[in-house]
Amino acid sequence: MKLKTVIKLGSVALASTFILAACGSSNSSGKKTANIRESAELATMDQSKVTDVVGFTQLGNTEEGLYRIGKNNKIENAIATNTKVSDGGKTYTFTLRKGVKWSNGDEVTAKDFVYGWQRTVNPKTASQYAYIYSGIKNADKIASGKADYKTLGIKADGKYKLTVNLERPISYFKLLMGFPVFFPQNENAVNKYGSKYGTSASTTVYNGPYRMKGWTGSNLSWELVKNNTYWDKKNVKMDSLNWKVVKDAGTALNMYNSKKLDQTVLSSEQVKQYKSNKDYKKFLNASTFYIEFNQKKDKYFKNAKIREALSLAINRDQFVNKVLGDGSVAATGLTSAGLAKDAKTGKDFAKQVDVKSASEYNLKKAKTLMAEGLKEEGLKSIDFQLMSDDTTGAKQTTEFLQSAWEKIPNVKVSLSNIPFKNRLANSTAGKFDTVVTAWGADFSDPISFLQLFTSDNSQNNGKWSSKEYDNLINAANTTDASNTEKRWDDMVKAEQILLKDQGIAPLYQQGQSMLRRSNIKGIVYNSAGLNFDYKQMDVK
Amino acid sequence: MARYLAKRVFYLLLTLFLIASITFFLMKLMPGTPLNNQAKLTKSQIQIIYEQYGLNKPVWQQYIDYMINAAHGNFGTSFQFSNQEVSYLIGSRIGPSATIGIQGMVLGVVLGIVTGSISAIRKNTWVDGTANIISILGLSVPSFVLAIVLQYYIGLKLQWLPVAGWGGFASTVLPSIALAASPFATTSRFVRTEMVDVLGSDYIELAKAKGMSRMGIVYHHALRNSLIPLVTVVGPLAVAIMTGSMVVENIFSIPGIGEQFVKSILTNDYPTIMGVTMLYSGLLVLVLLLTDIIYGIIDPRIRITGKGA
Repeated sequence: MKLKTVIKLGSVALASTFILAACGSSNSSGKKTANIRESAELATMDQSKVTDVVGFTQLGNTEEGLYRIGKNNKIENAIATNTKVSDGGKTYTFTLRKGVKWSNGDEVTAKDFVYGWQRTVNPKTASQYAYIYSGIKNADKIASGKADYKTLGIKADGKYKLTVNLERPISYFKLLMGFPVFFPQNENAVNKYGSKYGTSASTTVYNGPYRMKGWTGSNLSWELVKNNTYWDKKNVKMDSLNWKVVKDAGTALNMYNSKKLDQTVLSSEQVKQYKSNKDYKKFLNASTFYIEFNQKKDKYFKNAKIREALSLAINRDQFVNKVLGDGSVAATGLTSAGLAKDAKTGKDFAKQVDVKSASEYNLKKAKTLMAEGLKEEGLKSIDFQLMSDDTTGAKQTTEFLQSAWEKIPNVKVSLSNIPFKNRLANSTAGKFDTVVTAWGADFSDPISFLQLFTSDNSQNNGKWSSKEYDNLINAANTTDASNTEKRWDDMVKAEQILLKDQGIAPLYQQGQSMLRRSNIKGIVYNSAGLNFDYKQMDVK
Repeated sequence: MARYLAKRVFYLLLTLFLIASITFFLMKLMPGTPLNNQAKLTKSQIQIIYEQYGLNKPVWQQYIDYMINAAHGNFGTSFQFSNQEVSYLIGSRIGPSATIGIQGMVLGVVLGIVTGSISAIRKNTWVDGTANIISILGLSVPSFVLAIVLQYYIGLKLQWLPVAGWGGFASTVLPSIALAASPFATTSRFVRTEMVDVLGSDYIELAKAKGMSRMGIVYHHALRNSLIPLVTVVGPLAVAIMTGSMVVENIFSIPGIGEQFVKSILTNDYPTIMGVTMLYSGLLVLVLLLTDIIYGIIDPRIRITGKGA
């Protein structure tokens, strides 16, 4: 009897499985929709709390600030309709668009910007992006508790006029305005939902191209639906975008192949297999990996010949193609390629810097330079450690570098692959000989990279130092800040100094490879800031 | 029995308290900060944020604060999921984990009992041999390999069931099967051994001599007696399935608790680490307690009393 019952129940369960499975494949037509993969959970929709790419992407497509950043970092008016810059680049006066609505019905006004910005810089909010406000009047003082958050240099004159005061001209200021951390916030909503604000789709308000639906705060799928009260809704072509968090790259690929996903990022193994697929797309991130030499701990790293020798021994092309193979490219300098163009000539910053010696491969020269360097330092050999993360990619990197460096006589390298957080702690504490460091730009301006290597910067782990470099960066940030051409020259010269002296050894620029259905058009990509803007996406 | 229970519950709470304490201090020894953007923050910026979260206090004080709050049922808010209460995070994720865990467990154990019994009855025949091979495979093939194979063939190639995702019974089938493999193999091996033993015992011979049908003997005598020791195996198996589901959850993209646990450790999300650790250890000690109680109920020979203990 019992066994029979079990069999009966089992067959009922099995039968219902197939019936349900059949239901799952039905498709609603007529509406424009697409399924997009995200590889990590969405942590928050609170502009003052967001820290990761997932959050920036969702906020950037459901909310809007003064500008949207178009193709090639073109500044496009969004809530701002007119911008006046005065006081030598230290005062920005924005005229705001009338009739822009929040999803709760309130109008978006200048007051919302003031509220949102003050909330982010308020130390009580503990925003991890408050530092990016540095340069706006009193921002640094507020962050360190020396001034009240209400003294921040932002003011509303009536509903449609917004004035921002800076401490010094910030040449990339307009770019920042397209970044979600600078978007307005609806005070009514923040107060109404209290600590629940931004923790789910229903406790967040929207003023951007899409509204979010179905995000509970911890689930793995949600929807962005076209926002029918958006001021520019005629340019939003998609009815909905379905986001699915799929962490496993293999699963995601299976879902892409069974048409459950229309866009997925590929792992480096998958890239090798799908490189020639018609849906294959490659994007370069504004993220550079480089090697820092600890000059404070190991005196011999003060010798530029030794640093250069180590850099010359690395065959970067072979490394990115044969070892990484994920779409990354060899870095020619610190500032990532494709980040920013010269306003006058239109030439890419990274190309303009052009210091070949900093990233070329020449083992013979490496050997000669190392011999000279060792002689100058009075050393017979050097034996040091290379530190990096403990991920598969990082381990492959360090193994490659070890074998490359040990081709130079009298160089011995040991490896230390440790978790990301440990690596970071050791880097900051100066507990390393050489380390592979990565930096991603927050905005599309070379200074985002170059400020790292001034003598007093806390991210300058190797303690490379140059008076001339410091002066140039200082000039770019102060005296030349409002002179676009001069500032650009300062930055080009500064990076040339860094590279000629091999203050760091550039390694590679991170690439991202994905499969995306070929009928999907109009997604705007920028390597820094909001990476993917889906506002004008369309399926043909 | 009541006294025995009270004593066991006391030890259970003590165990949980010790686990919580040890975990708390171990967790604080981990390097790094819970800040996502740590790489871009200076020391003083980190300090300012720490003050807001009370992380600048000495560790022992943080420990006391946490314990007092936890005793009041407040497990704090997550760092990674800003402002999200840990109890909510865990609560909304335990459902999917429990669903595939229980389904996998039931499927595995039921199939295991059936297969094991048949093997024992048809000892040393081709049926027994085949069952043997299947169980060995079930034990030696890791659940994630099975998960990937199922996903590829049943999900992608045959398109019978969803490749991954969560929603509806259909999406739970493949992960449940992947999870069922190990309890199935263990149960079937175990039941076979036990039943072969039982079938050779005197009272079975007696029942046969009395003219009872073969099926009747198996149902009424052999099966029941061979299942008793199984209870001891099922407890730990249930716990193994809870932790073993992390990988399967990841492969099938299920919003479960296992993945959350791993992520919280990697990101130093202290309140979440504590919350999930307590949940896991709570379930473990509870399962062990239940096993003991059930064992006492079904096997009168070893019923424990509080006397003399």
